Amino acid sequence: MNRTVLVLGSGPIRIGQGIEFDYSCVHCVWALREMGYRPIIVNNNPETVSTDFDTGDGLYFEPVTLVDIQRILKHENPIGVVTQFGGQTAINLAEPLARRGVNILGTSAEAIRKAEDRDEFDKLLIDLGINKPQGRAVRSLGAAIEVAREVGYPVLVRPSFVLGGRAMEIVTSEDHLARYYAFAEEANPGQPVLVDKYMLGTEAEVDVISDGTDTLVPGIMQHIERAGVHSGDSMAVYPPVSLSRETEWRMVDIACKIAKALGVKGLMNIQFVVDDSGEVFVIEVNPRASRTVPYLSKVSGIPMVQLATRCMMGQTLKELGYGSGLWCATGGRVKDFGSADARIEGIVATAAQYLGDGFRQSNIFAVKAPVFSFQKLSKVEPSLGPEMKSTGEVLGIDHRYEGALYKAMIASGIQFKEGKRVALTLSASDKEHAKTIASKLAQSGYEIVCTQGTHDELSKHGIQSILAKKLQEGSPNLLDMLHAGEIGLMINTPGSRLENTVEAQRIRRGCIEAGVACITSIDTALALCEALDLFQNPELASCLPYTEYLGVS
Amino acid sequence: MGMKILVIGSGPIVIGQAAEFDYAGTQACKSLREEGHEVVLINSNPATIMTDEETADRVYIEPLTPEFCERVIEREKPEGLLPTLGGQTGLNLASALAQRGVLEKHNVKMLGTPLSAIQQAEDREAFRALMRELNEPVPESWIVESEEQLEAILDEVPYPCIVRPAYTLGGTGGGIATTREDLRAIGSNGLKLSMRSQIMVERSLLGWKEVEYEVMRDGAGNCITICNMENFDPMGVHTGDSIVIAPSQTLSDIEYHMLRTAALKIIRALKIEGGCNVQLALSPESFDYYIIEVNPRVSRSSALASKATGYPIARVAAKIAVGKTLDEIENQVTGTTKACFEPALDYCVVKIPRWPFDKFESGDRTLFTQMKATGEVMAIDRSFETAFLKAIRGLEVRQKDLWHEKFAGRRSVMGGPPADSPLSDEELEQAIRVPTDERLWAIAEGLRRGWDIGRINRLCRVDTWFLEKMKELVAVEQALLHFESFSTTPEIMDSVLRRAFELGFSYDQIASYLGVTGELVADMERQKEALSGLANPEAIQAGQFDRGIEALGVAIASNPVAKSEFDAFWSKYDANDPVFLARFFAVGKLKEHSGGAVFKMVDTCAGEFESQTPYFYSTTGIESDLVSQ
Repeated sequence: MNRTVLVLGSGPIRIGQGIEFDYSCVHCVWALREMGYRPIIVNNNPETVSTDFDTGDGLYFEPVTLVDIQRILKHENPIGVVTQFGGQTAINLAEPLARRGVNILGTSAEAIRKAEDRDEFDKLLIDLGINKPQGRAVRSLGAAIEVAREVGYPVLVRPSFVLGGRAMEIVTSEDHLARYYAFAEEANPGQPVLVDKYMLGTEAEVDVISDGTDTLVPGIMQHIERAGVHSGDSMAVYPPVSLSRETEWRMVDIACKIAKALGVKGLMNIQFVVDDSGEVFVIEVNPRASRTVPYLSKVSGIPMVQLATRCMMGQTLKELGYGSGLWCATGGRVKDFGSADARIEGIVATAAQYLGDGFRQSNIFAVKAPVFSFQKLSKVEPSLGPEMKSTGEVLGIDHRYEGALYKAMIASGIQFKEGKRVALTLSASDKEHAKTIASKLAQSGYEIVCTQGTHDELSKHGIQSILAKKLQEGSPNLLDMLHAGEIGLMINTPGSRLENTVEAQRIRRGCIEAGVACITSIDTALALCEALDLFQNPELASCLPYTEYLGVS
Repeated sequence: MGMKILVIGSGPIVIGQAAEFDYAGTQACKSLREEGHEVVLINSNPATIMTDEETADRVYIEPLTPEFCERVIEREKPEGLLPTLGGQTGLNLASALAQRGVLEKHNVKMLGTPLSAIQQAEDREAFRALMRELNEPVPESWIVESEEQLEAILDEVPYPCIVRPAYTLGGTGGGIATTREDLRAIGSNGLKLSMRSQIMVERSLLGWKEVEYEVMRDGAGNCITICNMENFDPMGVHTGDSIVIAPSQTLSDIEYHMLRTAALKIIRALKIEGGCNVQLALSPESFDYYIIEVNPRVSRSSALASKATGYPIARVAAKIAVGKTLDEIENQVTGTTKACFEPALDYCVVKIPRWPFDKFESGDRTLFTQMKATGEVMAIDRSFETAFLKAIRGLEVRQKDLWHEKFAGRRSVMGGPPADSPLSDEELEQAIRVPTDERLWAIAEGLRRGWDIGRINRLCRVDTWFLEKMKELVAVEQALLHFESFSTTPEIMDSVLRRAFELGFSYDQIASYLGVTGELVADMERQKEALSGLANPEAIQAGQFDRGIEALGVAIASNPVAKSEFDAFWSKYDANDPVFLARFFAVGKLKEHSGGAVFKMVDTCAGEFESQTPYFYSTTGIESDLVSQ
């Protein structure tokens, strides 16, 4: 009997499509093998585990493109092709392969298209009664202006069908919109442009596993930086630290509804934004494994790719001992039942359980932090925005949120260099936080260096700071101090793109050249303040094998 | 007797330290556990297979700092530490732990290559001293450890010179200085970025060939070469940013063995126990060579060498570190040979880096000694040309072959010559001279303009052998593009198409050069039945395409569905246009040729021994190593 399954890899590592997808492909291959299939791999990246000689039952060292895959299919004649673990490279091939009569395993090509087609997906959300930021796809500048007027500035604009945040921008005025549109038109002629209300709220995301009927949510990750920073570049914490249980449950409910409506068989990622009233809006859906799958698998104890692969091949979550709801690890290890599937003890909580009193969860906080390679890339502006810039990530795990934050920060290179001086230059819109940040830093014994605006703001609140000159005011200015090694850490938040001055850019590049950590988002700075205690007393953080944080020993 | 061994991972993916260490770490952990050892792992990167619960006995996802490593050591009390699998991060951490006395205090033994050897390879002065002892040439250089010392050598060094900071990732902070002012700026930045405030200023070998050898040595002193690799880009571009070919293509046998001997002599002298990468510069005009660098650990190059040959370097290195010798270790790829057999390659491998400039449009695209690529692709095929085209196709960038609109202009929709190239000759010369991520396409455009190989070689110093190969690819591309003027007879038409396939152009690319794109492709797809009968009608064999169409119509008349598709097609397209007809029949031929792919095996031994691991690449034409499933 033919048991061959072809798994598509994710090709070369690039910004937006990193090693995470190789992780998912490899786990899919292992799960298939465990189930008695003969998994074969196509990939052309020599750096990865998926192209190791003994990972699959067959390795085709070939480009992950339609023509090359067709040749392999002709030779191997597999029962189907797996497209949901190899990132955008693989998922983009689902539709053309399906059109040629190839069996796409798991979520159908039709469902994938539905999730990625803006108009159809909007309709689906409306039918399900799910909120999304107002906006739509347009094909002319006139229509874009009309939408922007309707929903009000700022708006988030991006070309459709281009994921990974490429060419995405937050637009604040009609002028700005016109400039953006001209650029998008040239970059992708004839393609529609999406114009959406830009909502400044808390972002969160989930990766879920569905068998088409039931949907398991292994956990919710809350972003530390507010909406507008690409999800790949923001820090994220599992479980959420400042969302109400009702808000969290709303996300679980939405995920279950969307997965069922689309008929997802396997993995899906959904990103949300929560407004001040706790209302939940869907901002993006990816009907495939996302970059947070390895992270969430490890800290939730759910073997996500393993389960998703089984669902893809026709097993149900109920058969596998799960069901619909939010997974809550409760600590301890379950004896394996059936296969090696469930390792960590927990329950799939229903709404009543999760929202009820006295619900116990395992004692773990896990913070993911992005890592950048700006040191290698001269002339690249290092501030965060809707376009992804990081190349990698680290994870900090602890029993306390502060401990997890601290570890994620030092592991990603956010730390104080010699000396106790922190430079603080905030954009006008962030000035209100100057007092909070400065007083916390001062309490921990740090000296604050700032330019006139922030200095005045701090003086009003009776907080001492050292006044530094702006670059155009002559020497010694902030840049000189950086180069002289007098600054241990920089907090420099840019305003909107329009006020993103040459001066701020020079300072941020200066930090990279001087090897000084530079925080460019006010939310990261606020998070740093929460972890200051740990920077002073690192021994307060634990150091354990990660499964022990989940209560497993 | 099983030992408890601490393995240090490489942490987050950054430019210069990517997924290769997940591959190496995972393979090594598996390998150590096979030998009955208990593995404790520390790595801060969760997106890795090596940090899976199943990979090691205990996995710490904790920050890679000396403090946290020390806490892991205190808690786990490992007997051994294997530092050579976590890239520069792993080595730096191990050095820091040794310096702080942590290893001594907890009685942890360094496994594999001794720390002293690592330091000897990494410290420029110590390394130079050793090379002098071995009588191996190293480029003249100056070690600089302060701004004052930098000032002092400004007038002494030959310009252009290369600046390399010591103890950094992927050559961060290095550069080429052509003037005193350059040297002052780059040098002073390098001093800041080096972990030890140390830089080396070195005679420039710009334009020399860059060649690497991956070698292995065990504790008993057995040494082998895994493979050698040649950089397409000559000296001056970081090897992580270079197009790399394995095995070398332009070295004579004497040169190959001269450099191999040098590499083996060095690994013996350093007493390395495990894998090691030796980079050398070879003069294109003489037998002069210099030793450039030695990496006493698994690296990006060893990952490439491993995948290029099928030889599992990390797995074998881990076993050597715990005392096994090469003749004792099984070659798992063949299952029939031992790890002491040097791999043999009966194919050509091309690696092309993947750069992030599609994301960072404002970024500086110039390539020097500071690596900028985030990843890479590798392609295997029977010749350089085919592997080269396959690698480009796999990059997932806009360019699918040697055509780049920035240099060559836009192609018209129905084939035929493009609008004028947007670059002047002067601009193109500059694009060929200065290494960037786009240089290969600039070179192709130079060839397209008919510039001779010597002129291009003088600009970019890429070996003429590679340029000759590219020239042929461009010639075929041009033949396809001006198809009607070349294809006066079916025989010529057939030979052009056959050649295009043999050189590695894919079906889609050839169709697009022929101007068969978009709607026409879909329309032709529906003509499958007619096209499948193409080879037969005599009129077509005789080149009378118009009569061929008639014959085809007759041939499929008995099939009403095919006939109605056929009629619909020819009511839409002009059967009297000879150019269109030529293209129509070419696509039919294309179908025939594209069916000819076969799969060959990567088995480390060029088919000499039976092999068990199914590791394949595709190629055109010849017999397959693979029986269809």
